[in-house]
Amino acid sequence: MIGRIRSQAIDTSRFLTDWMEHRTGIVTMMEHFLYEPVPKRGAWLYTLGSATLFCISLQFLTGILLLFYYVPTTDHAWDSIYYIMEEAYFGTLIRGIHYWSANFLLVFIGLHMAQVFFSGGYKAPRELNWVVGVVLLLLVIVLAFTGYLLRWDQDGFWASVVGMKIGSYSPFVGGATIHFLLGGDVTGPATLSRFFAIHVWLLPAALAPFIGIHLYLLRKHGVFGSEFEYSDRLAKLHERQRLELYESYEENGHEEIGETNLGRRNREERDRRE
Amino acid sequence: MYAPATGKAKPVEEEVITEENVFDRPDETIGFFPKQVLYDLFVSTLILIACCVLSYLSPAPLTEPADPATITYIPRPEWFFFFYEQMLMFFPGYALIGFGAVVVPTIFVGLLFAVPWLDTGPQYSPLRRPFATVIGLLVVVVVVLNMLMAVARIINFPGQ
Repeated sequence: MIGRIRSQAIDTSRFLTDWMEHRTGIVTMMEHFLYEPVPKRGAWLYTLGSATLFCISLQFLTGILLLFYYVPTTDHAWDSIYYIMEEAYFGTLIRGIHYWSANFLLVFIGLHMAQVFFSGGYKAPRELNWVVGVVLLLLVIVLAFTGYLLRWDQDGFWASVVGMKIGSYSPFVGGATIHFLLGGDVTGPATLSRFFAIHVWLLPAALAPFIGIHLYLLRKHGVFGSEFEYSDRLAKLHERQRLELYESYEENGHEEIGETNLGRRNREERDRRE
Repeated sequence: MYAPATGKAKPVEEEVITEENVFDRPDETIGFFPKQVLYDLFVSTLILIACCVLSYLSPAPLTEPADPATITYIPRPEWFFFFYEQMLMFFPGYALIGFGAVVVPTIFVGLLFAVPWLDTGPQYSPLRRPFATVIGLLVVVVVVLNMLMAVARIINFPGQ
């Protein structure tokens, strides 16, 4: 009895897999993505990138949950956050994860970036992945800045006022840009609306495709890791190059190098000639 | 179908390693699934646990409601902007602040974008490209020092 059920279950799952593969090709795609060989020695080091991605995913998830209660108006923003912290189910947890994973996100971005920089991971053909990574860094910094004002508490408000003041000192474009961001001359209701739109719609929408490109390029060129992933192959290469160099010395003989450095074969030839 | 990660084209013994293909494949590989995925999941779980614990031990801050009329409030940026705020102290006055606040960071970001084209040598190891390594370490030291200076300032002069 168990045998019949087992074989029917196998048949059903095989049918479903083939059906999906035939319609979407998703099985081949999953195989391609999942069984990719990646460097072994520094595997723990390369979790920095995935930790960054995980923190961003937490930001998206908890951010959506916060939107259930948050109201982006000057009258209600602070009250709605107070409600999230004090009344809403798991509000403290959701806002806590949003806050703390944002802090961790910046830490992990810094560490990930340092790891790639010091191991030379940006070199050809991976230049564009570095460029996309810098774009992602800038987007996250602006996200962190705009999120601070949304609390509409004294800290966030005055830090944003100072930030805007600093931005207004930019040569040529400062005044106009800040006027656009503030939606007027001073930080007020229009500013909150604009920061809300930027923090919740514009930047996440910009972030997602760049993350996609970052991962696509990573898969296209494979994980580089660091030079110590290739030390055996480099040793073989250098050994072969050394042997080839000696061979060329021996073939070219007297003209290239002095008598003292001659290989054994040449010395025998010389002796015979004499 | 689980296939252990082997190389792409040729078996290891037959392949002739040249300058071009030496970085094609690492010496030792693991499959992205399940090994690397497990490592990633382990780290992600630690992060999630840390976030959950911290959100109750040290809840996300919320100070008094914003009041544009106050004039005595001392604003503090978040910790990851400390180094930037501290750096501005080295560009005092209206003549220099635009330079320190916008021009210098813009140049820095421009250089950051250009890194792959500024360092195009064949060497990967940080020890064999000392110029890039020293510059990178200097940036890290400057950022960390500025952060520490900002923290020291905030501790020493809480009211300023």
